[in-house]
Parts: sequence; C-alpha cells; structure tokens
Amino acid sequence: MFLNSWSLALTLCSAIVFILTAIAARTAVRVLRFWDPASDDTRQIGLESETWLASTLVEYGLGFQIISLVLFALAANHFCSFLTGAMCATGALKANAYGMPTLLIKLAGVFVYGFWIVLHRLDISSESYPLVRLKYGYLVLLLPLLVGDISLQSLYIAHLKPDIVTSCCAVVFSKTASDGHNLLGSFSQASVLQSFYGTATGLAALGLFLHKRWQASLAWLYAGAWAWFLGLSLVAVIAVFSSYIYAMPFHHCPFCILKPEYSYIGFALYGTLLPAAFFGMAGAMIDPLRHRPGLAASVPNFQKMALGVSLFLLVVFVTLTSYHLLLYRLLGGES
Amino acid sequence: MLIELQDVTKIYNQGQANEVKALDRINLTIPSGSLMCLRGASGSGKSTLLAVIGCVFPPTSGRATIAGKLLSRLPDRFLTMHRRQFIGFIFQQFNILPELNVLDNVTLPLLPVGISPRERRKRGLRLLEQFAIAHRRNFAANQISGGELQRVAIARALINDPPIILADEPTAHLDTRLSEEFMKIISGLKEVGKTIVITSHDPLVTENSAVERIVDIRDGRLHA
Repeated sequence: MFLNSWSLALTLCSAIVFILTAIAARTAVRVLRFWDPASDDTRQIGLESETWLASTLVEYGLGFQIISLVLFALAANHFCSFLTGAMCATGALKANAYGMPTLLIKLAGVFVYGFWIVLHRLDISSESYPLVRLKYGYLVLLLPLLVGDISLQSLYIAHLKPDIVTSCCAVVFSKTASDGHNLLGSFSQASVLQSFYGTATGLAALGLFLHKRWQASLAWLYAGAWAWFLGLSLVAVIAVFSSYIYAMPFHHCPFCILKPEYSYIGFALYGTLLPAAFFGMAGAMIDPLRHRPGLAASVPNFQKMALGVSLFLLVVFVTLTSYHLLLYRLLGGES
Repeated sequence: MLIELQDVTKIYNQGQANEVKALDRINLTIPSGSLMCLRGASGSGKSTLLAVIGCVFPPTSGRATIAGKLLSRLPDRFLTMHRRQFIGFIFQQFNILPELNVLDNVTLPLLPVGISPRERRKRGLRLLEQFAIAHRRNFAANQISGGELQRVAIARALINDPPIILADEPTAHLDTRLSEEFMKIISGLKEVGKTIVITSHDPLVTENSAVERIVDIRDGRLHA
C-alpha cells in the first residue's frame, strides 16, 4: 500500500463516510419499521427529529462519495509516477485487479448517490415528510454499493505495488492491440461522430420541446437518450476527440486529458458530461412522485431546473469536445 | 385562530437519571380572540406549556395545532416561517438587545423575513408611536426606563402582526403601575382580536377584568 497523502486522504474520507452512513442506517431500519406520520407518540416524534439529522449525515456522506470520483482520478494520476510502466492514470488503474472496478463503481455512484440526494431535497422541500420511507428504503438498497465502493477503493490502494510492471495507456487504448488489454475496440470515426452529433442534436431538440411542454413519456425517452449519449460520449472521447486534443492520431487515452499538459481539459469534459447525464435522467426518474401530497410544486420545479441544467451542460460539453476537432478541420492544425 | 393541544406530554432528559415530566397529557383549547392566563407556581410547567404552544420545541408526545395546522411537528425550516407569522413572544426579562437602539430592537423580527429597510423603519415607527415611545427610537436599550423597555418588548412581539401573543411572566419584574399599564396594553390587543396567553401568578394579571379564563397548572397537569 502507498502511504502517501492521496491514499491516506481517500481512505480516511471513505472511513468517515462509512461511519456517517452506518449511523444513518440504524435510523433507516427504524424508519422502515416504525414510521407512521399519523401517530403522535414519542417514537414517531423522536423519529422525525432523528431523520432530520440522519438525512443530513447521509447527504454529506454521499455528496462526498460523488466528489471522491474526482479525488480518485487525481490520486490515480499521482500514483502513476510511482508505478513501473504507468504513464498516466490508465497504468495506475490497471496496476491491479481493483482499479477499473473501483472507477466503474464510483461512476455508477454518481447516479445512484445523486438520486438519493435529489429524493432528500424533494422530501425536505415539503412540510409533511412525503418521501421519508422511500428515501430510507432506497438508502438501504444503495448501502451495498457504498460498501462495495469503499471496499474496492481500499483493496485497490492496499494492492498497489510499485515493483509490478503495469500497462501503458498507449497499449490499453490502442486500436491495434490484441493482447486482451484493449479497452477501445475498433470504432469507425465517422460513424461515432455521426452518432455523437446526431444524438446531441436529438437531445437538444427533445429537451427544448420538454421545456415548452412536459410529457412523462417523452421525459423517459429523454432520460434513455441521455443514458445512451453518456456511453456514446465516452466512446467518442476515447476513439475520436482525445487524439485531436493530444494532436497525436494514435493516442486515445481518456485519462491523459486529465493532466496539466492538456490544461486539465478532461475534468471540464467529464465534469460537464456526468452532471448533464445525471440531470437529464433525474427529471424522468422523479416523475412518478409528482402526485404525492406536498410535492405538487417541488417536483415540476426540479424537473424544469434539471432540464435546463442538462441542456446547458450538453451545449458546453459538445462545444468543449468539438473545439480541438474543429480547430484541426477548419484551420488545418493547432493554432 | 384556535390553539388546540391534545394529550401533550413533555419530558426533559427522557431515559436519563434526571428525567423530568414537565407536562403530563395536557388537553387544552384556546378560542380565537381570547385572553387566557396560565397560573401556577414556579416549576409547575407553565413556561414549558407556553413553549410548546409557541413551538419553541416539540412535545415528547401528543399534538399542538394552531389554526388546524400541526405546527409542533413541522420540520424546523417550515416551523420557523410559521412561528414568525403566527406567534409573538413577550419574555419575562424582555430580552431586549442592549447593543441595539430601540427602533432596531423592535424591527429585529422583520430582518429574516426579507422586508426592505425603509418598510422595516416605517412599521417600527408606527408601533413606537402607538406605544408613545417614538421619541426614544434612537436611544440604546439600556438608556430607557423599565416601562419603556416593556413597551419595546410588546412592540417587538407585534411587529410581524401575529394573531397569537404569548407572554411568559411579563409582570414579574415590574412595579404595580407598570403591571397595570402592561395589562391595559394587553386588553387593547385583545380588543383588536389577538389571542393572548399569559403565564403568571401575579394577582394584577390574574384578577384583571380582561382575563377571560384562568387555567391552573400543577405538576404538569391542568386544573381548570
């Protein structure tokens, strides 16, 4: 295990999140068993105060876990300087069997944890605790993911060995590699770009339509389109856009763009794509809650906000990804 | 405005060695526009009952409803908004901030409501004039007399125009003349439709003709 500031910070923060969530889990069990808003007894009144504190703890804990994705990426970038063969975070994440699964579970966590926070915010926007049971039931369901997230991260850090040779991103994301490490596969640039811009245009059109007239069925289509666009964008960044950012046709690493040499543009790309996809999907996810008592105003307000944010971030993301590509195509090279 | 308490119990330090049952299954209805006095010895639970009515803290069990709304069970952020709207407090020690002048003390409850400084000043001056202390508006709170201090406290309780006024032993530190003056103001508030609950064992309050109902409280239980 690397005893450095990054691994210690990640481990310590995860431990704190785990403790906060474990405290809240006790409340979750009590809520699921005893919550009865019609009751005036001591237990119910006590639970109402308790959920207020427990929910705040969970909100901060899960909020930190979402941010920990960024910290994890920064840590992986830092670890590569100690690992033989690693040139960027790719090598650091491939240094043992836990790196990539940790990254994937943290990516999934952005959506799963984020949705809990949305439920919590909607719940506290009402006077009558309309979503307490739902959000604590959901908390119990997401706990295994949180435990998995923290466990995989700890295992990853614990199994990092500087003397084991790891893979370089040039191998992992090479189109010609055939040693089983190739994460890219063979994509046609033209078809990826057509799908990317086609889906982005469709999303923008659908989003603008929903902004004028909200329809649940179209909102689900919008959410589904965002899920597709998220995957497609990751492929497009790796297969097409990254090589224009690097100005190297054969370099397709999705992690090198996080480095200072490339002005940390990767953080801007992923930092717009992930929230955009999250808000794009969240609007439809909460639609069934529209008719719950106390949420008649807050759900549509959130949906409107989420739609606006997703559309705005879509434009920013497409602009950022297209910048280097357009520079090459229009000017014939870097300015 | 109707205040309704149903089976309200309040236990301090529940489950600990120093547990105290301050209120024991209180049932009480206070009609709109009435002036009621809660009478009881020190430690009888009258201040706790006033705090529960005022939603300062929730009961351990039971419900406190104001105008049909279960205020006592609202989450804090909503409770604060409703309390500001519904309830004005007059405290035993008046709790006037000595660092602020008279006008700023009176307009203090308007600050979190988001009312403009000009409107705050206008409303504050109107109340100070009503209580004949407008000439003291720029005086520091520690430079005015006890009677003026009392009127500042009443003005502050009224600045949000709440329908309910709760006063906790308001005459405990006042001489006879000031106590009578206080009750005169309170009677006037009753005339304009305010619902008023006063805790006191002062005969100048309990025997005042404006008081419609006296409820005795002993060991956390009501004896009407």
